[in-house]
Amino acid sequence: MPAVLGIIVHDESTMLQAHSLLWHYLWVGPHILQLLLAVFMWRRGMGRLFPVFLSYLIFEAVEELTLYGLDVSPSVSGETFWRFFCFGLIVEGLIKLGVIGELFFCLLRPWSAVAKVGSRLISGIGAILVLSASLAAAFMVPDNNHWLISGSHILQQTFYIVECGLLMFLFCFAAYFRLPFGRQVFGIALGIGILSSEHLASWAMTASGALLDKRYLLDFLNLATYHVCVLVWFYYLLVPHKNSVRDVAPLPEHSLELWNRELERLLQ
Amino acid sequence: MNFAVILVVAAVISLVVILRLAVSRSLQIRNSAHLDTKIRPMDVNAFRNLVNPAEDEYLRRRLPSRDFRRVRRARLRAMAAYVQIAAENAALLVGFGETALASGDPKLADAARQLVNQALVLRRNSAVTLVKIYVAMAWPYSGLAAVRVIERYEQMSGSAMLLGRLQEPGAAVRLSRT
Repeated sequence: MPAVLGIIVHDESTMLQAHSLLWHYLWVGPHILQLLLAVFMWRRGMGRLFPVFLSYLIFEAVEELTLYGLDVSPSVSGETFWRFFCFGLIVEGLIKLGVIGELFFCLLRPWSAVAKVGSRLISGIGAILVLSASLAAAFMVPDNNHWLISGSHILQQTFYIVECGLLMFLFCFAAYFRLPFGRQVFGIALGIGILSSEHLASWAMTASGALLDKRYLLDFLNLATYHVCVLVWFYYLLVPHKNSVRDVAPLPEHSLELWNRELERLLQ
Repeated sequence: MNFAVILVVAAVISLVVILRLAVSRSLQIRNSAHLDTKIRPMDVNAFRNLVNPAEDEYLRRRLPSRDFRRVRRARLRAMAAYVQIAAENAALLVGFGETALASGDPKLADAARQLVNQALVLRRNSAVTLVKIYVAMAWPYSGLAAVRVIERYEQMSGSAMLLGRLQEPGAAVRLSRT
C-alpha cells in the first residue's frame, strides 16, 4: 500500500516525510494491531463467523510487514520490491472482494425475501464495475516510466473502483430495505467502506500522475486512514455492545374490529 | 486527469453516503420506539379501484384519446403516491419487526420474522411497481399490474396485526383506512 514511500527521501525533517518516526509508526503500527485483532477474533470464535475477513487481516498484516522489511532493507532492489508489491496487491484485492461477498451474505442470510434479488443485483453490478474499471485502466496514461510501478498504480485504482462501487451498493441496498446490519458486520463494512473510498481517491490521483512532487502526502493520508479503519474494526468487533433494553414500540389502539376481520380473512 | 477528478468526486460522494448511512442507522435504532406516529394508514379499497384494469378499459372506451391520457396520468400519479406510502409503511414495519425479533419470545420472534419478510417483499415490489408507473406515465396506453402490491400489502397488514396482538393483546397497528 505505501510502497512508493520507499523511494522518496526528503531533506526536510518534518514528521510528514518518508522515513520519519510517524512514517515508520503508520506503516508498522496498524498492521501489528491488525494481527492482534486477528488473534482476539480467533480466540473469541469470530473466525467461524467471518473466515474471509480473518484471512484478510492476517494476509494484509503479513504482506505489509514484509513490504516494510523489503523497503527498509538496503540489499533489496526496487524491482524486487515492486514485484512483491504487485503480487500482494492482486491477492489482497481478491481477498477483499471475498470480504465484501461475506458481508453481503451475512446481511442477506436471515432474509430469504430479498436474498435472491440481492444476489442477482450484486452480481450484475459487480460485472458492470469490473468492465468499467478494466476499460478505464486500458485507457490510462502511465504515470511512471517503469511499467511495474505505473501498472501497480493502475491496478490499485481498478481494484478500488470495484470495491468502492460494491460497498456503496451494499450500504444503499441495506438502507433501502432497512436491513439490520449486525454490529460486527456493520463495523467491518464501515471500516472497509471508509478505506475503499479514501484509497480510491488517493490511487486515482497517483495513477493519473497528479501531485507528483507531493506524493508522500497521499501516502500519509492512506496510512492514517488505514490506521483509523483498524481502530474502527477493533471498536466494533471487540468492544462489547451496551445491552440497552430495546422496548418493542407500542402500537396504536384503533380499528381493532377491522383488523380482526382482516386476520380472519387471511386465516381462511 | 479528468478521469481522476471524476473518481475523486465519486470517492468523496461514496464516503459521505457511507458516513451518512452510518449516522442515520444509529438514529434509526434510537427512534424505533415512535412507530405509531409514523405509520400512515392507507385506503386499500381506493387503491384497488385505481389499479383495476376494468376501470381503465372503461375510461379508455368512454373518453377521447387526449382526455384519457390526462385522466390516466392523474390516476397513475395517485397510484404512485399510494405505492410510496405502502413502501414507507413497509420500511417502518421492518424496523418494528427487528425490534420484536430481539424480544427473546419465540412466538413473537416467529411472527416478527414473517412480518419482516413480507414487508421486504412489499418494498421490493413497490420499487418495481414505481418504475412501471413512471414508464406508464410516459406511455399511458400500456397495461400496468400493481395488484401484487395490494396483495402484499394485505398480507403484511395481516402479519402486523398478528404481531401486534401477540405483543399486546389489546392493541393493533393500523395500516389500512378501510
